Amino acid sequence: MFQRLKNFYHKLGSYPWFYKISGKVIPFLGFFSITLIIISSIWGLFFSPTDAVQGDVYRIIYFHVPAVSVSQMIYYSMSVAAAVFLIWRMKMAGVYIKSLAPIGAAFTFIGLMSGAIWGQPTWGTWWVWDARLTSTLVLFLFYLAIIGMQSTFASRKSADTAVSIITLVGVVNLPIVKKSVDWWNTLHQPASISISGESSISNEMLVPLLFSILGVYLFVLFTGLLSMRAEISSREQNKEWFKKLLSKN
Amino acid sequence: MIYFIKILKKEFLIYSRKSSSFISPVVFFLISISLYPIGISNDPDILKNLAPGLIWITVLLSTLISFQNIFSEDYEDGSIELLLASGQNLSMIVLIKIFVNWIFSCLPIIVLSIFSIFLLYLPQEGLKPLIISLLIGTPTICLFGALAGALSLGKNSITGPALMLPLSLPVLILGTQAINYSLNGINFASNILLLTAILIFLLPIILFASVGALKLHFN
Repeated sequence: MFQRLKNFYHKLGSYPWFYKISGKVIPFLGFFSITLIIISSIWGLFFSPTDAVQGDVYRIIYFHVPAVSVSQMIYYSMSVAAAVFLIWRMKMAGVYIKSLAPIGAAFTFIGLMSGAIWGQPTWGTWWVWDARLTSTLVLFLFYLAIIGMQSTFASRKSADTAVSIITLVGVVNLPIVKKSVDWWNTLHQPASISISGESSISNEMLVPLLFSILGVYLFVLFTGLLSMRAEISSREQNKEWFKKLLSKN
Repeated sequence: MIYFIKILKKEFLIYSRKSSSFISPVVFFLISISLYPIGISNDPDILKNLAPGLIWITVLLSTLISFQNIFSEDYEDGSIELLLASGQNLSMIVLIKIFVNWIFSCLPIIVLSIFSIFLLYLPQEGLKPLIISLLIGTPTICLFGALAGALSLGKNSITGPALMLPLSLPVLILGTQAINYSLNGINFASNILLLTAILIFLLPIILFASVGALKLHFN
């Protein structure tokens, strides 16, 4: 088992192998993720029951919750990739960080925007300096710093290393930000707002939500693989294996 | 050991000869502090409430002026390359550079922040937490500045500040909160302890990361 895992890890580092395998997986991922998102959107928007307190506004959670959850997930996966890059110098990890950072930033932005649109009718304001909102905003800023750092280095390897360093420092700092914002918030704005409706969510609302979360995760995998393939082809365009592949098609 | 003491002396000499390195943050700080009453209000009650946050934000912004100094000149004249090739402990050298930069760019501001009692009507009981939180919080900010400076060496871009300011958020929150606590008669020791914990926790990590970032420019 361990040997097979090790083999898989070593294969993952090879561009041609990854390019071949991802090409096979992508159509399925694309099909399933988009179908799931369509099903869960129709189910969530038209068929799930109206919330007793919030009315129809709550339906935005079918976009909001998956987006925020996946944006954090992407950051943590990027920090694992950063550690892999710095320790084992695996080139694929650099490709992963570079391709996934814009996707993560986009989903963080969707999360913030949909939260604001939900907040306007529900809380009566677009933005509250609540602990969760503030730490999501900081996450967004980290994504921007990572994306901005990509273009400041001439050599690909230096840029990858620099970005890995930032990602790791960010992941060390994020819990500190989260905790300090919690203390700051809870002491100055005692629980005037809490998003507690989620824990007591009924099954009819929960099932489409789980569907949409799964759909968005698969969608991120799908777009992530696509953009990683694009990144690989731009890095390897002059290599022998890539030219062979092009001439074959 | 003698090597590090020599580097320390050299850094002190460089900073003390280059007066702009410690004058420009101070001038920036004084100008901004005197602009706030003009821009916001000259009402002591309003300013009193805003003072802790205003002072901390101004300190944070004035470090933006000086954080490029930590490595940029050594990078331009090539002495960083010699330090990297010297085989000595690089984290120690980076630590010395950050320490000297802190003494010349942050310490004068901390001393001058006493004036905020008169200019921003900060009540006297807020002075002690202000000075203590600045003394413990600004080294952490200098650490972030060193990392940002090492990563954005030789480039005039927004990436340095864009990296440094979000990282400094916890220090800003805990620092302002300490002052607000003491103004409301609450014990502020926990915030100071947390600031110290953040400094001690991040010191080795950031030093390690800065050395890695410096090496990037020479491979």
